Amino acid sequence: MVADIGSPEAHDGSGTFGSVMAHDTAGAVARPAAATTSSSVALLDHPVLVARDVSVGFGAKTVLAGVDLEFTPGTITALIGPTGCGKSTFLRSLNRMNDKVRGYWRTGAIEFDGEEISSHQMDPLVLRRRVGMVFQRPNPFPMSIGDNVVAGVKAHRLSPRRELPAVAERFLREVGLWSAVSDRLSDSPFRLSGGQQQLLCLARALAVEPDVLLLDEPTSSLDPVTTDMVEDLLRQLAPGLTMVIVTHNLAQAKRLAGTTAFLYNGRLVETGETERMFEAPNEPETVSYVSGRIG
Amino acid sequence: MTADDRTTMVAEPPLVAGDEAQRADARQTSDIPPQAQTGGPTGAGTAPPAQPGGSGPGGGSPSGPASPWWRAERLMPRALRGVAFLPLVALVLILAALVWKAMPAIRYNGFGFFTRSVWNLGGSYSPIVTTNGIRHPQGATYGALPLIVGTLQSSVIALVLAVPIGIGTALIVVEKLPARLSSGVGFFLEVLAGIPSVVYGLWGALTLGPFLAHDIAQPIANVMPNVPVLNFFRGEGPNNSAGNGNGLLVSGVVLAIMILPIIAATTRDLLRQVPRPTVEGAVALGMTDAEAVRAVTLPWVRAGVIGASVLGLGRALGETIALAMVSGGSPGHIATSLYGAMTTIAATIVTQLDSAFNDVSGLAVSVMAELGLVLLVITVLANAGARWLVRRVSTTALPVGRGV
Repeated sequence: MVADIGSPEAHDGSGTFGSVMAHDTAGAVARPAAATTSSSVALLDHPVLVARDVSVGFGAKTVLAGVDLEFTPGTITALIGPTGCGKSTFLRSLNRMNDKVRGYWRTGAIEFDGEEISSHQMDPLVLRRRVGMVFQRPNPFPMSIGDNVVAGVKAHRLSPRRELPAVAERFLREVGLWSAVSDRLSDSPFRLSGGQQQLLCLARALAVEPDVLLLDEPTSSLDPVTTDMVEDLLRQLAPGLTMVIVTHNLAQAKRLAGTTAFLYNGRLVETGETERMFEAPNEPETVSYVSGRIG
Repeated sequence: MTADDRTTMVAEPPLVAGDEAQRADARQTSDIPPQAQTGGPTGAGTAPPAQPGGSGPGGGSPSGPASPWWRAERLMPRALRGVAFLPLVALVLILAALVWKAMPAIRYNGFGFFTRSVWNLGGSYSPIVTTNGIRHPQGATYGALPLIVGTLQSSVIALVLAVPIGIGTALIVVEKLPARLSSGVGFFLEVLAGIPSVVYGLWGALTLGPFLAHDIAQPIANVMPNVPVLNFFRGEGPNNSAGNGNGLLVSGVVLAIMILPIIAATTRDLLRQVPRPTVEGAVALGMTDAEAVRAVTLPWVRAGVIGASVLGLGRALGETIALAMVSGGSPGHIATSLYGAMTTIAATIVTQLDSAFNDVSGLAVSVMAELGLVLLVITVLANAGARWLVRRVSTTALPVGRGV
């Protein structure tokens, strides 16, 4: 299933524009459309998303205080930590999903593409298109499989109506779901297996060509084989897409992420290269957590 | 003993196997209580030891004497089964009584009952004559076409008004209003549902009707051009009259207000069941609130909203006293404009029944029964149509077995 991932793009990349693209990052070849919408992000090695001294909370309660994190283009960052340490709240702050939660507040700066995400220049709808999100449990919409994939594309009018079927096919191929659903695109997504539903949601998130993808424990409700498939897929997407993944699964963080950040007791304890975080952590809490003594 | 009984009741075998077992019982043992032989499948609790385990009823469980038939554990299942069929029995009896009572009218009116626009009981003092073996006052002619059309027209107007407003109300209550305000609005919805229909009728006849006719409808009636479709909204007569406050428009509006709480309250409860993560998925894609509602929330509750609308339609079709008060009571002809006098099947039955009893031939009462039958059929058809619609909608995209 994973075999057909990205094949049409790879074919495009070897075409006439191959030499031009050679200056670009590998990701731009894999995802040409995304690269054109955010070329400034992809070309420079500036962090695409920056959190500076960010504290978040609800009402009188502070969930997370003083977090400084940078997310470099084309990398996967894992946020690890025990339940309730504020990983998900932080992740949801990055695309302003918490805005409507009662009592939510945030201090400090979160900058996307050099712009504070809650500034007046930043349209939250555009922010959420460019900073996509995949949820813990599959959440397909009550519409056909094909319509699910292009729901965001339609909402943002990214493609003319007649090209929507092609868009649906492209992203279903990208997540490796095409062969399984090509003959029942107009069927209900709720008859798919849980893993297929999650892949569908991934295709839906990718279809609006985001620069950053936030993944909130995307495999926690999936079986090991599907989890493997999703991880393979994320690795293949990595060069063209910045990903932030919240996970309880330390092995998954090790397998996927280049950078790991450990959150504990409402603060960012330590962040660094994943290998070093697991082999030679600096902080005693990190040592305890990665060795399984806490959390 | 109770344990044994429970086992045998759970493992109640199909009828044939039970009979076989009983025959085997009769052959092999002689001390079976007589109830076990006559008690049908539930009496098969005394599985003989000779039966190979598993195949027989209650196979493997030790046999004991069955409890007497009057014990609760034997009596209740049968009693409950009987109770379960009561609604069906009631429906059949009502239908039979209606058909029985309506028979003379059905034979006298023929199919013309559905095509004629006339309502003539015949003179009160005119002689009773006999046509085709049916006794009737001379000159009696009945045609229910205006009543059927009026029933459908007023119900459709009510649905057209109440469904969008009901869905909108529910959306605002669930999505926009703060919790305290939304429970307040919910309280008033329930109060609205509890107002007796005679009060709605009185209000419609005394206040809403005149207000609509003079202040809302007349200006519209004045400007509507005399072209097809639009001339339905044009006033009647040389003065473009929008009526005196009794008629189709007022009937439809009063019905709409009456069915609004059903639709709004049901839709509100359905909206509260839409899973949060699914709506968040839409928001996370960068959809506006309105787009998320259109793409996710409304499709999720679609089948249920159709069901709620049909509940409302059922009430609108059968609503009697309020319409008798605001319809204008004109059983003889179909309203040619939105403001014209009309009447419905139910309203006609309630307003005409008294004079029907004065018809010494009994035909007028029989016509009432026929009207009742027609109304019953229309309501059943509407429900069947709704079931079909709900099934079609829920198999296309909705999660199977959820959301409804």
